[in-house]
Amino acid sequence: MFDAMIDPTANPAEAVRATPPAPRPDRLRGLTVGLLANTKANAEDLLERVGELLATREGIAGVVRRKKLSITDPVPADVLADLARQCDVVVVGVGDCGSCSASAIADGLALEAEGIPAVVICTEAFSAAADAMAELQGSPGYEYVRIPHPLALLDAEGVRARAEQVLPAIVGGVTTASSATAAA
Amino acid sequence: MTATAGHELLDYARSAIEHAYERGWTDGLPVVPVTAPMVEEFLAHTPRPRDEVIASLPHLKRRCTVEQAAVNAALAGCRPEYLPVVLAAWDALRRDRVSTAAWQSTSGPAPLLIVNGPIRHELGINCTGGVFGPGFRANATIARAVGLIVRNVLGVRPHELEQATQGIPGRFSLCIGENEEESPWESLASELGLPEGTDAVTALLLRTCEFVDNRHTRDAEEVLWDIADTISRTGAAIGRHSSAGLVLSVEHAQQLAAAGFGKADVQRWLYEHCVRSHADLERAGKGLRGLEGPGIDEHGLHMLPSPEQLLVTVAGARNAAISMVVRPFGFAGWSRVAQPIQRAGSE
Repeated sequence: MFDAMIDPTANPAEAVRATPPAPRPDRLRGLTVGLLANTKANAEDLLERVGELLATREGIAGVVRRKKLSITDPVPADVLADLARQCDVVVVGVGDCGSCSASAIADGLALEAEGIPAVVICTEAFSAAADAMAELQGSPGYEYVRIPHPLALLDAEGVRARAEQVLPAIVGGVTTASSATAAA
Repeated sequence: MTATAGHELLDYARSAIEHAYERGWTDGLPVVPVTAPMVEEFLAHTPRPRDEVIASLPHLKRRCTVEQAAVNAALAGCRPEYLPVVLAAWDALRRDRVSTAAWQSTSGPAPLLIVNGPIRHELGINCTGGVFGPGFRANATIARAVGLIVRNVLGVRPHELEQATQGIPGRFSLCIGENEEESPWESLASELGLPEGTDAVTALLLRTCEFVDNRHTRDAEEVLWDIADTISRTGAAIGRHSSAGLVLSVEHAQQLAAAGFGKADVQRWLYEHCVRSHADLERAGKGLRGLEGPGIDEHGLHMLPSPEQLLVTVAGARNAAISMVVRPFGFAGWSRVAQPIQRAGSE
């Protein structure tokens, strides 16, 4: 009845295909973990604590730290290539705003496309934006780790506690095994 | 036409509007159903090719062409001849580095579009009384077209990719003409480097607008102190550099000009006097004492990054000394660009 009405919406300019998840290692022992932080308050601190816990609990070989300065744009190509070359798995975070939550999901998928297992951390307040981005990228239902909101106002102890809390999900997200910690 | 036939046609129009709601094409208000011939009517008013990209969000793999903009301008209720203004508005928005982050942001910023030139009168763009609306089709629908493009073409919709905490009142309704006729100064487009009399659009993304009502003094500097107090409030002090702009009423602008202030003098005065003390910032939990950074000195925080980042424009009726402080979004700075409006046959 309304066929003559022009649809004002548009599809993405490029055809999107689902990104298959990169193959997961069975455990993290001896592997190098990338920490891709953004500029949100406490993002770097949370990833740093996660890295420390992965060293002591999972026996990782080391971490590679990178920081993304734009909260909106995808991870720069050189940083992506660098992480893909040096790391076995990457932890991305923290999605804690409208733009950066969606952007973090896109970065996680970009790493998966490079063959690097990734796990993205978002605060639960922004799951709608994260889900919308996963769908836009052709990967609806892409798994990521949700942490309680807010993160920005936590003190050092609070950030450490949040890292403890999220560790099993991070390990589970980038390996085929459950966390050594969680299994213990 | 018989009364019955008239009812049937209007019922059909109503159901077309309902169809648009069902498809999720509207911003909450009714839209105009768009047909292919209507789109051609709009495109006839621009010399720009229909497949030219006028807006893009690379991180979302989205872009908007002239034709898609025309569809959404029609949907918004624009007249076909408004299309060149909508396109120039996007040209101006693209120059703002913060614009790619704006549409998804928790800040929920609004584009303020300022139109200069004779086109204001040709299209009926209000620049005098009640300039922030409502009541003027061109002002309302040009601003609305920008919002419908964000929603429908760039695909940023509330509760999905759009994550505004509250948003700002009047988002996608802020299109004003500069009151060039009663401004004591050169036009905004002229200040930004275009020949006087050029049809142009300037854009700035805003967090909010706040009135300064000062009909109390004949002293121009006292008016500036009053404006400085609003610019310097701690709620707007985020990061090392907040910013501000001024939509001055005709009376305030003329009062300042009569006291010898040019626009650059107003900018310079406010840059120097809009400083919030460290003690006040600390009381609000935003202390910066001891930190290094642009804008921080022993007195406190300079609220403006530089004199020229303070937008100064003149709009509204010459009936009261009431002005508006506007609050730019983001920290990257305003582009300070006025984009010429390209119309069919005007090249």
